[in-house]
Amino acid sequence: MWKMMNPLHKKKQNKFKRKHFILLFVSIVTGFIIGYAYNLARDDKQFDSNYFEQEDIYRTELIEQQERNKELMDELNALKAQIREYEKSFTESTNDYKELAQEAEKLRLILGELPAHGEGIRVTLKDGHYNPKSTNPNDYIVHESHIFMVINELKISGAEAIAINGHRLKPNSYIHCNGPVITVDGTQYPAPFEIEAIGNSETLISSLKIAGGVFDQLLNDSIIVTIQALDNIEMPSINS
Amino acid sequence: MWLPFLGLVLGLTLGLLTDIQIPSVYENYLSIAVLAALDTIVGGIRANLQQVYDDKVFITGFFFNIALAIGLAFLGVHLGVDLYLAAVFAFGVRLFQNIAIIRRILIQKWEDRHVKKDEKTV
Repeated sequence: MWKMMNPLHKKKQNKFKRKHFILLFVSIVTGFIIGYAYNLARDDKQFDSNYFEQEDIYRTELIEQQERNKELMDELNALKAQIREYEKSFTESTNDYKELAQEAEKLRLILGELPAHGEGIRVTLKDGHYNPKSTNPNDYIVHESHIFMVINELKISGAEAIAINGHRLKPNSYIHCNGPVITVDGTQYPAPFEIEAIGNSETLISSLKIAGGVFDQLLNDSIIVTIQALDNIEMPSINS
Repeated sequence: MWLPFLGLVLGLTLGLLTDIQIPSVYENYLSIAVLAALDTIVGGIRANLQQVYDDKVFITGFFFNIALAIGLAFLGVHLGVDLYLAAVFAFGVRLFQNIAIIRRILIQKWEDRHVKKDEKTV
């Protein structure tokens, strides 16, 4: 009886184990897949919320920084005004410092750190009229070289402050041509270009209109130039 | 009875501990695989209760269903048709049906036992 039962019993036990092994294996695989999927989904969500939070933080930081910049700018302007006050009081009280302070004032004007105003001229450069004979529009539009010509001439003849379309030029300003517009210190200005210069208007005009000079060259390039003497030109400082 | 739960817990911990990143395109396949695996397990339990359980059917069904579901999803992604919905639908329906059958069998067994007890007491 035992001998007969034994193989059957053994086989049954074997099968029992095999079944359990398969069950264990399948459940491990299922658990692994579920856990892994859960992990991935959780990571995804974390990433999403992190991303938005970060964007928010950066935006707030940027706004704070901009406000701080504005505050500092105001402080700077206030301090500069204070220095000027001191210098003015110097010129009144001590004769020794008078000339130095006056020179500083003049240099500051040239640097463009102060708003300038006074007698001057305004040169307007406009693109020439459409010329049906010419195939190339470059032949009658204002180029940066024309603006350079005017500015150089004005500087040579003693202009104290120059502005293009209301943008005050610094000693280290840059101008470059950018298709139909020109870029002055990173800001784009379209034609017509109004170049204002403060200085002796007679000298400035005569130097521009010298025979074969800038005025003639501009006319030769079919550009519409108007020169206007003004009694009072207001110019902002470079900081504004 | 404790063996499948042990396996499930073991698998879950393993899955939670793995830190392999896969491209987000393949996350669809993973959800399908989960569904297929669950369907096979529930199907196995039902077969066991109905006394038609077979090792080979169970183990081949497990892998074959997962492979088929992933293959379908893969094909769908490459054809631009959401074919994985077919797998989700099929497995979902079967999951519910199998669970319903298991529930009925369990209720039947429970009632049978009650009737026997009642007979004994009477």
